[in-house]
Amino acid sequence: MSDSPYQPEPIQAPPARWNGRWGWPIVIAVLALIGVLLAVADIALNSPWLGPLSEAVVGPPVVTTSHNNRAPGSDRFERTRPIQAFTFRSPFRPIGAVNPLQGLRALLSNGAALILIALAVLVVFPDRARGAIQRLEDRRGAVIALVAGVATLMLTLAALLLLRFTLIFLVLIPVLVAAAVAVAVFGIACIALALGRLMQHRLGLGPTHPLVASLAGALIVFDLAVIPYAGLVALAAVVIAGLGIAVVTRFGSETGWSFADLKW
Amino acid sequence: MPGPQPFGGLACARVRVLMEAYVDGDLGSTDPATAESVRVHLASCDDCRRQHAQAVSLPFRLKALTSPLPPDDLANIVMAAIRPARTESRYAWALLIPEGLLVAFIVWYLSGLDGLASAASGTLTDLQALLNWGAGAAELPSVPVADVFLLIALIVLAITAAYHLSILSRLGDDAHAARPALHRHRRA
Repeated sequence: MSDSPYQPEPIQAPPARWNGRWGWPIVIAVLALIGVLLAVADIALNSPWLGPLSEAVVGPPVVTTSHNNRAPGSDRFERTRPIQAFTFRSPFRPIGAVNPLQGLRALLSNGAALILIALAVLVVFPDRARGAIQRLEDRRGAVIALVAGVATLMLTLAALLLLRFTLIFLVLIPVLVAAAVAVAVFGIACIALALGRLMQHRLGLGPTHPLVASLAGALIVFDLAVIPYAGLVALAAVVIAGLGIAVVTRFGSETGWSFADLKW
Repeated sequence: MPGPQPFGGLACARVRVLMEAYVDGDLGSTDPATAESVRVHLASCDDCRRQHAQAVSLPFRLKALTSPLPPDDLANIVMAAIRPARTESRYAWALLIPEGLLVAFIVWYLSGLDGLASAASGTLTDLQALLNWGAGAAELPSVPVADVFLLIALIVLAITAAYHLSILSRLGDDAHAARPALHRHRRA
């Protein structure tokens, strides 16, 4: 046995294929473009079986303003008319109005909000996000997160209905819902960074700031959410997995769920 | 090889043999007279004093330490840490079935999704009434009476989901849990 101290083998990073300075900007631009195109397609197809939920992410296909409460002489401030000029009607039945600006609006509203929230969570909770992402990147981590999210949803549903039948604890319902939303947002931010890291590894992109990887990951989540017909299902899967990974890791805590502190 | 130099009544070879016990302090406690002889020898012999200075230096003493033997159960600990938790893994999937059945029963019992929606809207109405009561603007809302079967189903669903989550959190934590044990043994 050698007397030299134990030295762990250095972990080799995957060889960067797109190591140039334009690798990440190109990928982010492509993801944003894909998001706009998918949003345009989603608006045009307007999945009828989803009802009002079909506009949850992409918004209405045509922007209109109410003429009832308009102030006199405000026509010159009307900005919907040039937007409508970009609307193209399709003669084919399943395809409705096609408006690229509406797709861009979806990216700049819901997409931007998703990106900003993900970045804010990672800035505020970097340690906890790391713990959750490490668990997510483990073997079967994504599947465990999804199943845990389903179980968490059921637990939340049962708790909400049980609180419904009490008077004293009725006021806890908004707290429970807010906590579930906060946990899901944390989980979505972690998934965004995990997706960015996965893309970095798979595409061989060079090292970059984690927030840039998170930005790319959040764009992937947005692209998934605006897939025609399946977007809401994909977004629900991401939200459920985010909920699950946050709950399984106890909000990314290092110790996880442990009762060791209660044994003294 | 230094020849015998009987400073202090001791030869250099004898001092080298006693050096480790002298440095450790064992010699001073068990045989003070010999320890004193070693000290006198070191004061007058340059070679032995150099050996003594090297012996008391920290890197040398650390290097002289022998690697501890691994514990007898190290192999078992490692194998237990990397063994997949098959039973718990099976439970993690199987528990989705009773949960799904319970949710289906609850939805059916509440007259489908419309019943769930009315429960949600009723909750909002009661919350608003409770806030108004707090402000002194309304009567205390009347809490709906829950059916005992529905309550049982909800409690069983909550317990099952919580148990399910505990299994899932342990499933993913196997690899992480193994690390502290291995670190403890490495430190030992």
